[in-house]
Amino acid sequence: MFKSRANNLIILIFILLVSPVVANAEYGDVLINNYSEAAGMRPVVFPHWFHRIRFRCKVCHADLGFKFEAGGNEINMLKIIDGEYCGACHNGEVAWAVENCDLCHTGKPGAPTQVHESTTYKLFAGSGKKKTGSAQ
Amino acid sequence: MKSQNSRLMPPARSFANTISVAVLVLLATNSVITAAEVRSGKQVYDVSCAGCHASGVLNAPKIGDEQDWSKRERQGFQVLLTHALKGYKNMPAKGGNPKIEDKEIEIAIKYILANSGLDRYQQTSVAKQAADKAAQQKKSVNKLTTQQTRKSSVNSFNRLMKSADEWNLPPAEDGIHDPDNGGTYMLQKPKQAFETLSWSKSGNRVDWVKALDNNEISPRYDRLDDQVKPIVMDLNIVREVKGSMPDVVYPHKQHTEWLDCSNCHPAIFIPQKGANQISMASILLGQQCGVCHGKVAFPVSECRRCHSKQKTLKAAAEGKQSN
Repeated sequence: MFKSRANNLIILIFILLVSPVVANAEYGDVLINNYSEAAGMRPVVFPHWFHRIRFRCKVCHADLGFKFEAGGNEINMLKIIDGEYCGACHNGEVAWAVENCDLCHTGKPGAPTQVHESTTYKLFAGSGKKKTGSAQ
Repeated sequence: MKSQNSRLMPPARSFANTISVAVLVLLATNSVITAAEVRSGKQVYDVSCAGCHASGVLNAPKIGDEQDWSKRERQGFQVLLTHALKGYKNMPAKGGNPKIEDKEIEIAIKYILANSGLDRYQQTSVAKQAADKAAQQKKSVNKLTTQQTRKSSVNSFNRLMKSADEWNLPPAEDGIHDPDNGGTYMLQKPKQAFETLSWSKSGNRVDWVKALDNNEISPRYDRLDDQVKPIVMDLNIVREVKGSMPDVVYPHKQHTEWLDCSNCHPAIFIPQKGANQISMASILLGQQCGVCHGKVAFPVSECRRCHSKQKTLKAAAEGKQSN
């Protein structure tokens, strides 16, 4: 409990200080960098929009137990290959399987865990508007 | 330069490459192209070339690589043009889009060369000027401003609003996906997915509730069984609110289409009338309605979608007196 609070605090401070890392991500894209980068992989981008075209929220958030919190599920590859979380579908039966590392681990190196384009993020970390020139 | 013989490859590899090119091209051509007018080099490049030439995927020469491009250009512009028109190695004819005019391919190559340090291609040909002019006119009609026009425009100062050309960008350009990662180019582009879905002015620019109601999408309610129907509860909860804002009507129906009761009850909302203190402040901080709205469900800027029940004049007046 304490650890997760401390983590949240660190993440919040990180967001406040480092951002805005201005992006034009799709609304609801979740970037998860709990363990990825420490393990030498790119962070994961989870596109909500892509998944909600195919599944109702309930499938992941009730049946599979995903919490409504970016990075709050402490997902790792062991859980996935054992059929938990992403692995409930990404198993080669419902959706493509785990060997396609670079389809999930697509995030820019160094990107922090967050829900992109979220109101909270915009309120605390700037406008969310791309700074013209810096990215071009 | 490599001889023409190097075009011959072992059939299996060639086939695999053709497939992967075809996949990439399918991913890349997400917008419908009407060849009614000649487009600018950048426009053609962005839609039909950038998929491979921005990243160098499948050994495509990267835009900006002066050494590589000047080597190619030394063969003569005509050779480059022929390769682009007829296809060469992994590159399909016209980047896989036969609808592109030959003239546009030529302009697009010049655009790539000009942006790869070959300055003599900077000079604008008559055709390019005409194309640019046409593009400008089209843009101003559509109220889409490009980066260039925005820079020179006095109205460019707009801190909070994204212009339409910043919506639903392909993964490689959205700022969070790594353009150096090959898998990034395999992902579906949002615009392609949203093409047929009901439009909204915020969020994903998709009205997800309408899209579901109109059967534009059919998301599963069960992980494995696509026949399972959702357990929908049709019950509106009206919450009276302070001030002149219309009262909030909370529809269980639209929510239970997507969610399970346990998603909200009892952790987020106690299922009892009057038991939940809700404020816009807490919603903006990501609590209560803000657990989803403002993150993935429609954002809180859509005031009227919740504050939908007009107060009677009498009620509004009484509210004013009591204040």
